[in-house]
Amino acid sequence: MTTTSSLIDSLVADAKPVRRLGPPSVRAICWLLFAVLMLALVAVGHGVRPDLMLKLHQPAFVTNVAAAMITGTLAALASFIASVPGRSRRWLLLPVPALAVWISTISYGCLTNWVNIGPEGMSAGEAAQCFATLALTGIPLSLMMLIMLRHAARLAPTPIAMMASLAVAGMTSVALSLFHPIDATVMILMWNFGVAVMFLVVSGFGGRRLFGWVALKG
Amino acid sequence: MRSRTHRPGPPLTLVENRQGSGASDPPGGTPGNRADGRLDWTMLMIRSQAGDREAYRLLLEAVTPYLRTLAARQINNRNDVEDTVQDILLTLHTVRHTYDPTRPFGPWLVAIAGRRIVDGLRRQGRQGAHEAPFDPEHETFATPEANLVENASEARALHEAIDALPPGQRDAIRMLKLEELSLKEASTMTGVSIASLKVATHRAMKNLRKLIERRGVKS
Repeated sequence: MTTTSSLIDSLVADAKPVRRLGPPSVRAICWLLFAVLMLALVAVGHGVRPDLMLKLHQPAFVTNVAAAMITGTLAALASFIASVPGRSRRWLLLPVPALAVWISTISYGCLTNWVNIGPEGMSAGEAAQCFATLALTGIPLSLMMLIMLRHAARLAPTPIAMMASLAVAGMTSVALSLFHPIDATVMILMWNFGVAVMFLVVSGFGGRRLFGWVALKG
Repeated sequence: MRSRTHRPGPPLTLVENRQGSGASDPPGGTPGNRADGRLDWTMLMIRSQAGDREAYRLLLEAVTPYLRTLAARQINNRNDVEDTVQDILLTLHTVRHTYDPTRPFGPWLVAIAGRRIVDGLRRQGRQGAHEAPFDPEHETFATPEANLVENASEARALHEAIDALPPGQRDAIRMLKLEELSLKEASTMTGVSIASLKVATHRAMKNLRKLIERRGVKS
């Protein structure tokens, strides 16, 4: 076993100048700009849904998209702030009100659409496209978040990973709402809840390992 | 659970007045010292981030006793405390770029220490569930004198078990195993045939094994 003084010696020997982390708000803005870029790329590649202009006049749709976007933004900000040691954990509550609105609009829209269209209103092709949109936005955003938050590996990985997942889920949901052409109610419900829950469960289980892996590479 | 184990640290007088620390340094004094002559951890940390090894050593040596106090409040075992202190120092080293000079150093350090102390407690809990400390009374010695008590109690148990056997088997065991007579001698002494003695001994051993096992389960 090494003694504490010899540990200090080796740490001092390894003390290279370090680049400080930027302010959390700036880092959050960087990530959000990256998210906007991803959305724009998907919009160019995939095209927005044909009935977008029509949908934008529906208050329920607008509320849903806005709430998802605000949840994503606030969750990103919260995860960047709370990942810095010494900052209050209460920051993690920041996206809760927006999240509540988002979830309530999902269930409302789902119930009304269920009656209008019915669960068989989607096809395998639609599901595949939907999944492509999801992967195209979700995976790069998650990777970016993972790299930007790798220092949290040795601190408090689980809550931070959950908050980061919420940010990604919010942004992914916005992408789905804007680009997915038909109202596949079950699909949307599955993705909106499924993505969030999947990220939360996966990151809850592997939060430490996930960040630890990136920290090793980084 | 986290809030239960993460009690606030000792009062951090070193960071309270840090606003004036840089300006109020005496002209010829060490830049890492505060006006009252004590080390200013914030200044040291800023210089450490820039790669100043001397400042970094001063800082680590200054925070170590503080971290030790912090860890010792919640972890009892001295070795575990030292392990946790080293763990905190390693984490501090890994995430030293996350320190923001515009914010106080104390809460930053305490947050990192808190995480590692919780980890230390968890480790302690895990080990406690599987491992028992090795006390002097667990120790045993090869010399027969050291094991007299155990031998005596085992012998008594064996004798009690033998007494509980049926008479034929009991006599066979006594003569052949305890008195170490040969089969022939025992046969002439008791008038029982050699074959019967063999069978009786075999059954007696079986019964004894059962009796002693039962006793072992009971106790």
